[in-house]
Amino acid sequence: MVATSLAQTPHRRRWRWRRIAGRVAAQVVVTLLALVWLVPVAMMLTVALMPSSSRDAILGGLIVKQPTLDNFGKVWSENPLPRYFLNSLIITVPSVLLVLVVASLAAFAFARLKFWGSGVWYALLMLTLMVPIPTLIIPLFQIAKRLNLLNNYLGLILPYAALGTPFAIIILTSYFSRLPREIEDAARLDGCSSFKIYWQILLPLSWPALAVVFIWQFMVSWNEFILALIMMQDDARKPLILVPLIYSGVYLTNPGAMFAVLTIITIPVVIVFVLLQRYFVSGLTAGSLKG
Amino acid sequence: MAKQVVATRATVSTWPRLGRQEGLLFVLPALLLFAVFVAYPIVYILRASLLDWSGLGAGTFVGIDNYIQLFREDPIFRKTLRNSLYWTFLTIFPQMFLGFLLAVLLNSKIIGRTIYRAIFYLPAIISPVVIGIVWQRIYDPFGGLLADIAQRWDLDWLSRPYLADPKIAIFSCIAVNVWQWTGFSMLLYLAGLQTLPSEVLEAAEVDGASVIQRLVQVVWPMLRPIHLTLILLGVIGALQTFALIFILTKGGPNNATQMMPTYIFLQAFQLQNMGYGAAISVVLLMIALMSSLFQMRFLGARFVVSE
Repeated sequence: MVATSLAQTPHRRRWRWRRIAGRVAAQVVVTLLALVWLVPVAMMLTVALMPSSSRDAILGGLIVKQPTLDNFGKVWSENPLPRYFLNSLIITVPSVLLVLVVASLAAFAFARLKFWGSGVWYALLMLTLMVPIPTLIIPLFQIAKRLNLLNNYLGLILPYAALGTPFAIIILTSYFSRLPREIEDAARLDGCSSFKIYWQILLPLSWPALAVVFIWQFMVSWNEFILALIMMQDDARKPLILVPLIYSGVYLTNPGAMFAVLTIITIPVVIVFVLLQRYFVSGLTAGSLKG
Repeated sequence: MAKQVVATRATVSTWPRLGRQEGLLFVLPALLLFAVFVAYPIVYILRASLLDWSGLGAGTFVGIDNYIQLFREDPIFRKTLRNSLYWTFLTIFPQMFLGFLLAVLLNSKIIGRTIYRAIFYLPAIISPVVIGIVWQRIYDPFGGLLADIAQRWDLDWLSRPYLADPKIAIFSCIAVNVWQWTGFSMLLYLAGLQTLPSEVLEAAEVDGASVIQRLVQVVWPMLRPIHLTLILLGVIGALQTFALIFILTKGGPNNATQMMPTYIFLQAFQLQNMGYGAAISVVLLMIALMSSLFQMRFLGARFVVSE
């Protein structure tokens, strides 16, 4: 008895040390990787702080000797950045709302109603997710041209809604399907219409899934590039994402100003991300959303 | 009493029949959007791909000439195919490996896990335009980050024209893409790890299996649905890569980094060959549809990881 416990102690101790060493090693590896990962983001900030007069950038501008906020003041006063910001909002918000309405209606039907061809319609909609957006730029441009939607916000809002709806349908259908049916069945027996059940029972219960769709689609619409590039040729209508292209010539010799523009573009997205991080994670894994 | 029963029965028996067509009304808006902005455009490029057409006027019908030219006489198109293969394999697998590693590390009791997760995911939410411009500066042979490090510490191998050398430019672009999207794989794997039954891990621990053995033999195979989702999304992502290339190299130098989407843009919107651009679009669409359908049908891949 005594012999065995004596024999075990050094082994156990060694095992514990190895565990601690492993944990320290993991911490070190993660920290180093995180630092490397942050370099480009840090560089965006530091170059923006570089005085326009400085010619000797240390480590490409990662280290700045006399940091200044001048660049921000300069680009803010020289350019209508709030205008572009507003353009982005005018395009993004309606497209997100449209996705929420259209997708939740369809998801309700797919989750709760039996109707002719439901499997086929669902499969067709899901086909959208396999279509690379660049294959659609020629027809969408020509359609927009014919309908006078070039340089028109609707020329982006509607395609964004169409392209975003299928993914939202997946998330919402799986969420709706897992909600208990008892209340609805009772409401049915009371003669409640399907629309009323959707609007008054299902939607209020589904705000976590709706929040996921909202945030996900917001990021997608906000960061969409290729359609914005072909649809918006009038500078006054361009969303924020196209702004660096407008200025790439102007600020060629002044990287600090260019990077200040990049920083200003990025900050709102990062704030939204930090505030709503939880929903990003659950948005990627629809199944783990709790009802 | 009896009346009430009859009334209830009547409602119960009529609504399913009504409901059968009612569902169509609910999906109608989604189907309309699909018809106008996805289905019709697909028909449109199929038709336009048979035309010699500048985008103005009607265009001339040339049959399958565009396709013949594409496959027989267009070395740039061949480059886009090769680059798509590079892009697909060299982003998906490094990303899965790194993402898995990070997920395992961040699933353990590391201090500041949430912050680390946010750091690794951060690039995925930043616009590729911003990312492209920042990385141009990192790669810049004149005063860029890598060139400066090389100069300060005499690391000659580090100083290269990353984006100007046709031999390595595509790999430089791919590296940026890996950096941007690894955090996404990490999040999916983290979610996957949390769904694994804890007994699986504990049983292996009791068996005395080493950590690495356990990860390779037990954990990795159990995350199969996540691998499949990442590959499915990765292939489509690779096939629709546009913004990053457009900003970093515009497809150059000498078309070395041309991808199918940038080539469509070049042909259709800069050279005014809408018909030819449509033919490239059709080929790209077919590749995307066939590979996705294959993965979903035969491997069971899905767009969303659930349960």
